[in-house]
Amino acid sequence: MSRTQISDSLESLHRESDPVVTVQHLVKRYGQFVAVNDVSFSIKEGEIFGIIGPNGAGKTTAVECISGLRVPDSGSINIHGLSPLKDRNVIRGFLGVQLQESTMPPRLKVGEALRLFASFHPNPADPNGLLETLGISHVKNSTYKKLSGGQKQRLSIALALVGNPKIAILDELTTGLDPEARRETWALIESIRDHGATVILVTHFMDEAERLCDRLALINHGKLIALDTPEAIAAQAGGKRVRFVPSKPVDDKTMYAIPGVKEIERKEAYVTVIGAGDLVASVIDSLTRIGVHVSDIEARGGNLDDAFVKLTRDDTSKVQERPQS
Amino acid sequence: MTSTLSDSKDGRFQGHFAELLKVEGKLALREPAGLVMGIGFPIILLVIFGIIGIAVPGNVAGTGHTVLDIYVPVIMVVGLISLGISSLPVTLVRYREMGWLRRVSTTPTPPSRLLAAQLTLNLLLALATILIVIFGSELVFGATLNVGIPYFVLSIVLSISVMFSLGLVVAALAPSQTIASALSGGLFFLSLFLSGLWIQPSTVGGPLATIMYYSPSGAAAQALLYSVFNAAPPVTAVATMVVYTGFFAFIATRYFRWE
Repeated sequence: MSRTQISDSLESLHRESDPVVTVQHLVKRYGQFVAVNDVSFSIKEGEIFGIIGPNGAGKTTAVECISGLRVPDSGSINIHGLSPLKDRNVIRGFLGVQLQESTMPPRLKVGEALRLFASFHPNPADPNGLLETLGISHVKNSTYKKLSGGQKQRLSIALALVGNPKIAILDELTTGLDPEARRETWALIESIRDHGATVILVTHFMDEAERLCDRLALINHGKLIALDTPEAIAAQAGGKRVRFVPSKPVDDKTMYAIPGVKEIERKEAYVTVIGAGDLVASVIDSLTRIGVHVSDIEARGGNLDDAFVKLTRDDTSKVQERPQS
Repeated sequence: MTSTLSDSKDGRFQGHFAELLKVEGKLALREPAGLVMGIGFPIILLVIFGIIGIAVPGNVAGTGHTVLDIYVPVIMVVGLISLGISSLPVTLVRYREMGWLRRVSTTPTPPSRLLAAQLTLNLLLALATILIVIFGSELVFGATLNVGIPYFVLSIVLSISVMFSLGLVVAALAPSQTIASALSGGLFFLSLFLSGLWIQPSTVGGPLATIMYYSPSGAAAQALLYSVFNAAPPVTAVATMVVYTGFFAFIATRYFRWE
């Protein structure tokens, strides 16, 4: 991340003492289907906390419970010492929510929508300033139905932010955006955090989570399978990865005999070995000794995407297949 | 921040109703289907019956009144049916279906304020329709009414209550906009018939007339008919509307969902 080590550790010291959201043993069922199954995590003040997982993993259900839109079957949620259900009126005053799959009246104009939502809050932000920040002031007089996907998303974010929230929940907000709009949205989320708000970001894009989030909760089939910084989760991908093309087929047994190799993946002519130590040298060394030449070598560290695939795959192989909601 | 917390603790923030009403009004003007039905349809009927009244000056069944005089209450009820049964519930169900009510529910202002704005807007349109029909029929088409103000106010308040609460029942029970449109469409024509638009209950007679008198729109038309000729509305018509309103309000509040 971009911040220095010192300020990082100071900030984390400060944050450690002050979780703004605490979720404990959260369970939510829809009939027989368990959407969220015993999930616990806490979110610190001023961080961008990512909730990641495949589609239908239970991410949205979890944040809907936090925002008080759904009633959990069991477990507890605590936001600044308040309950999302009992104290929902108070919490709505400082929690901004951007909902997935929610539209607006087609003929409502951008400026009108924002002024209207400003009127819903006791101490709103300046609607015009917010339109400016979000880069949609030029479409202020356009109706909702005339907006592009990116503009709709930005308006949706603006509506979530117009109440000057201390905590903003943003659900799949870059889905359907082009790459440029996604990057602009990322910058925006960072600026929300820099203004002192805590951001809860729901996403299924690993690059987004890796780039933006201070910490991540990885949810699969309703269960929490990892909770850490993106770097620490990425490290669970199993360390270094070396991909190459051998001059003739090499069987698994020979590959596993190479020092440091822990896992092997094969795709077409490519072989990828995952492991630790001086992997490139030991692969070349061992294979040359048995007369196999190695070409097209590519080495890199494991990233969040690799970890995600690995963790969700391990988890899925353990868990019985369940119907998706 | 602290002030926000204390503001909300004392009583939930209610937003600025005028802003909400203004936005709902603008949206109604931009999608004028509801306006056309609620105000336009009664005006068309007024013109038709007005022309009949002038062309066939008459004395309906020896009462000394023209066809227009007799139909003025029905035309007003038609306006209330259009706004209350068609316009109101379809808009509310659409707002629910598109997640608009849900989105509002994440703000400090309760989504019931949006419902209140829709009700107020349709109420204002209903009052406009009623004034247009009363003054239009008298000043343009020479209807000879003798509106008894207290009777009329009572009848109008009950007529609006019964039609709007029936609309809210549709909004509460219809799971989607398609079903809401179908349901309100069916109720729309049924209510038009029972109000006596095609044939008046006094002409029909028999059990059908009884059904009409004891239906929401039929009772409304009957109460209004008495009150535009300065007579007390029949107790049966008043009681019918009170009972239906209570029943509809109970169903609507019990089953209404915000998402």
